[in-house]
Amino acid sequence: MPRSRYEVPIKKNQSFNLNITSMTDIFTILLVFLLQSYAASEVQIDMVEGLRLPSSSTDKNPIEGVKLSISPTELKFDQVVLAKVQNNQIEQSAIDPRDSNFIQPLFDELKKFNAANEKLAKTGKVLLQADQELPFATLRKVMYTASMAGFPNLKLVTTVGN
Amino acid sequence: MRRRFKLNIDHNSEFGLDLAPLLAVMVKLIPVLLISAAFVQMMIIETDLPQVVQEAIKQQANNANAAHITLEVDKKEGIKIIVNKQGQEKVDVISNLNEQFNYAALYSKLVEIKQAHPEVFKIDLSPDADVAYKDLVLIMDQARKSRSNDIKFKFTDTKTGTEATTDYMFPEVVFSNVMDG
Repeated sequence: MPRSRYEVPIKKNQSFNLNITSMTDIFTILLVFLLQSYAASEVQIDMVEGLRLPSSSTDKNPIEGVKLSISPTELKFDQVVLAKVQNNQIEQSAIDPRDSNFIQPLFDELKKFNAANEKLAKTGKVLLQADQELPFATLRKVMYTASMAGFPNLKLVTTVGN
Repeated sequence: MRRRFKLNIDHNSEFGLDLAPLLAVMVKLIPVLLISAAFVQMMIIETDLPQVVQEAIKQQANNANAAHITLEVDKKEGIKIIVNKQGQEKVDVISNLNEQFNYAALYSKLVEIKQAHPEVFKIDLSPDADVAYKDLVLIMDQARKSRSNDIKFKFTDTKTGTEATTDYMFPEVVFSNVMDG
C-alpha cells in the first residue's frame, strides 16, 4: 500500500507582521551620514569627464568665479568646449599665430562674459580645474589668456589630500 | 454612595510602534540626498588669509628692503631657491631624489628661509614648461604653512605694532613667468 504524502498545511489568507525596526535603524544611520556629507560648499563645481584633479593640503572652500576646465581632451569655459587638447597641448588652430601663449577662443569667450556679468567679472576670479598630468606650458597659456582678458586672480581647484 | 471609577493600568503591557510612516519618509529622503551628495570634496588654493597676515603681506609690498624669493622648478635639475635681499643673491638647489622632486628637503629649506626672513609671505614660482601641474601643487603645499605646531614665525602686526606669530610661511604664490614671452 503506498504511503500517503505529507502535505504542509498552508493558510492562504494568513497575514503577518514584518519587523521593520532594524531597517529603520539602517536608514537612520544612512540619513545621518548623508546629511553630514551633504555639500557644505556654497559653490557647485561639476566634475569634468576624464579630468583628474591634483590633491592638495589646502582647506579653502571654492568661491564664486569664472569656471574654466582643461582636461586631457578639451578646454572648456563652464560647459562650452573652446578648444581640443591633444598630447597635453592645446590644438594649434586655437592659438594666435602671432602669440604662442594666446588662446583666441578663450579670450573671446571671457570678453563676452565680461560684458554680460560685470559684477563677477570685476573680481577677476577664475576657478581653474586642470588635469594633474598637464604640463605647465599648457596651463600657462590659459593663465596668460585669462590675465589678458581681465581675470588675473587664479584659483586652482584641487581635491582634498594629505 | 457611588464608587469612584478606577482606571486599570497595566504597567507591564507592550505596544507596537508603527514605524512605517517614518520609514516611508526616509525612503524618499535618502535617494534625494544620494543624488545631491558630493563624494569628492573639492577645495581651492587661494590666498585668503587672516587679517594680520594680509596686512603683513601689504607691508611686504611696500618694503623695498624685504627679501625677494624665487623658486625655479626644473624637472631634471630640481628646485633652485633664489633669495635676493638688497641686491645680494643667495642660491640653494634642492636636487631631485630618485628622479622626483625632494619635497621634504624643500620644506626644510623653506622653513629655514622663513625663519631668516619672517617678513616675507610671497614667493615667485617659475616652473619650466614640462613640469606637471600636480608637482606644482605639491610645491605650493610645502611652501604654504608650517606642518609642526612647534614651528611658528614671528612678525609685527602693523596696526598695533605688537609682535604676532603665524604658521603661514609663503601663502602667496605668483607664477612669475606666465607673462614672459
